[in-house]
Amino acid sequence: MFTLQGKEILVTGASSGIGRTAACMAAARGARMTLLARNEERLRQTMESLDGDGHRTMVCDLTDEDSLKEAVAQMPPLDGLVLCAGINEFMPVKFIRQDKLERVFQTNCFAHLLLVQLLLKRKKVNPGASIVFVSSVSSLMGVPGTLMYAASKGAVNSAVRVLASELAPQGIRVNAVCPGIVRSEMLAGTNITEEAFTGQERQYPLGLGRPEDVGFAALFHLCDGSRWLTGQTMVLDGGMTLI
Amino acid sequence: MKFEDVFEETDLTALEPDMPFRDLDEWSSMAALGTMAMVSDEYDVELTAEEMRSASTFRELFETVKSHL
Repeated sequence: MFTLQGKEILVTGASSGIGRTAACMAAARGARMTLLARNEERLRQTMESLDGDGHRTMVCDLTDEDSLKEAVAQMPPLDGLVLCAGINEFMPVKFIRQDKLERVFQTNCFAHLLLVQLLLKRKKVNPGASIVFVSSVSSLMGVPGTLMYAASKGAVNSAVRVLASELAPQGIRVNAVCPGIVRSEMLAGTNITEEAFTGQERQYPLGLGRPEDVGFAALFHLCDGSRWLTGQTMVLDGGMTLI
Repeated sequence: MKFEDVFEETDLTALEPDMPFRDLDEWSSMAALGTMAMVSDEYDVELTAEEMRSASTFRELFETVKSHL
């Protein structure tokens, strides 16, 4: 059921964390991957760890429209997208500024919406394809300090529902996964201490997540076994929102 | 340092350089995030979580920021 044999799949944010893990897991199930990220060296490392052949990498700054257009022009027609690229900046509301807001929304939301738009316009999303946005459980909560990140992911969740209904006639499915705290490079790069996250762990009945946990959810969304699933936001949080 | 941007209720005139800022009633994880954002805005220095954690007085915090300037 989880086979991705013969599918062309794009992963953004593929050079680290959830993106890298999801790319490796999809390749192991037979998909041919297009990996997109800013960092060439780390992208190459992801590429080297993929099973199978015929994969390609694209160095691209998603937030640069010209760079994005160039990347899209080189992409093959796709059967699946896993949109992982994201940034995170925590601060109290009174320290937010327009440039900070724009930076977070640009990467987490606008760039991916524009990527989908460009791919559709160029007819590079095959009928029956599955688009998976990596959102966040933050988008459904109200944790102090997370405004920019949470709001950018909330915008993604709304876009998912609209895309799902607009693209259903083409058999294209669109969903989001909303992970809680996952131990990943993005987390290590935030201004939150390891101790603070260890403190958070108590709120997770099944513990904090691993990138593979999100990867398995992405595989399910990408494979044909989920052909009746669209417009949904799947919460993956080890039971955190239950308590 | 513009701690008036971080704190709402603390009497800033009563603050001393060698005061452990975590002892302030108003200190919290949000005050820590606010301090990091204030330092970023004022000095263009991005403190790591580890640097923030290892400073305990205002003076130590200032020395840490200064080491990046």
